[in-house]
Amino acid sequence: MSERKSFGQMSWAELKRMSWAEFRQAGGWAELGRMNRADLIQLDMLPAWYATRERRRWLAGAGIFALALQWINAAVSWAVGPDDGGSRIILILVAIMMVIYLPAVTLMNIATRGLVELAERHLDERQVGERLRATTIAHRITTGLLTACFAAAVVAGMGGGDDYVVPERAVVMLVIALALTHFVLPLIVSTWRLPDPLPDNEE
Amino acid sequence: MSAEEVYNRIPMLRAERGVSRKELAAALGVHYQTVGYLERGEYSPSLHLALRIAEYFEVPLEVVFSLKPFPRLGSEVRR
Repeated sequence: MSERKSFGQMSWAELKRMSWAEFRQAGGWAELGRMNRADLIQLDMLPAWYATRERRRWLAGAGIFALALQWINAAVSWAVGPDDGGSRIILILVAIMMVIYLPAVTLMNIATRGLVELAERHLDERQVGERLRATTIAHRITTGLLTACFAAAVVAGMGGGDDYVVPERAVVMLVIALALTHFVLPLIVSTWRLPDPLPDNEE
Repeated sequence: MSAEEVYNRIPMLRAERGVSRKELAAALGVHYQTVGYLERGEYSPSLHLALRIAEYFEVPLEVVFSLKPFPRLGSEVRR
């Protein structure tokens, strides 16, 4: 009798081929829930979404678009008052952003095999090196954005006179946009840079 | 071609010993995709990993890695 594989030893394709009876016999949802993030991320879920470099770059583009929406939100909060329809625009933009951001980030994490997400003890030397490279590039981009924010605040302050105040809501939105960018940009950069792996035609 | 390119015979040694990419990766404690990138020459290993690969195949380091392309099999006989 062949020894049964645990979920952690299976590929996503093997898991999908299982019948309900086999799934329940292997431990079902409870066993799947016990798997740690490092093993879950290696399951290779929904491979068609990130199989080619072009598709991975579309995913990275979706991540950039979601971030851009949050930056637009900050600009809208600055330029449009809450009574002029600003609140409604912000809510709509946040809703669109979340619909794009959450699946895109999840798929990018799976595509990069948790390169940015996982603790260093789960990565090998190539992955650690690639993470460092992605973080360095992302850090450089974030520095540029911070400089642009600073310049915008200075220009707005000079043009608005001594009593000019940046709206509190705009500051909150700007901080959220900066935090999200800082958090997700290394993931976007590593997804963008990821080379195609060799086809795994060995069993 | 990068000036720092390191050539290797990992695919040949792996095929000769009948070892899959996943088995080699598990023995070395690296991700199986890392073995793929090594074989394709898209990643040059650290000295530690290179020594462990040579140790795994029980051959000297220079049998697995070289700074110059390895001669094709049979090319020396033809000369």
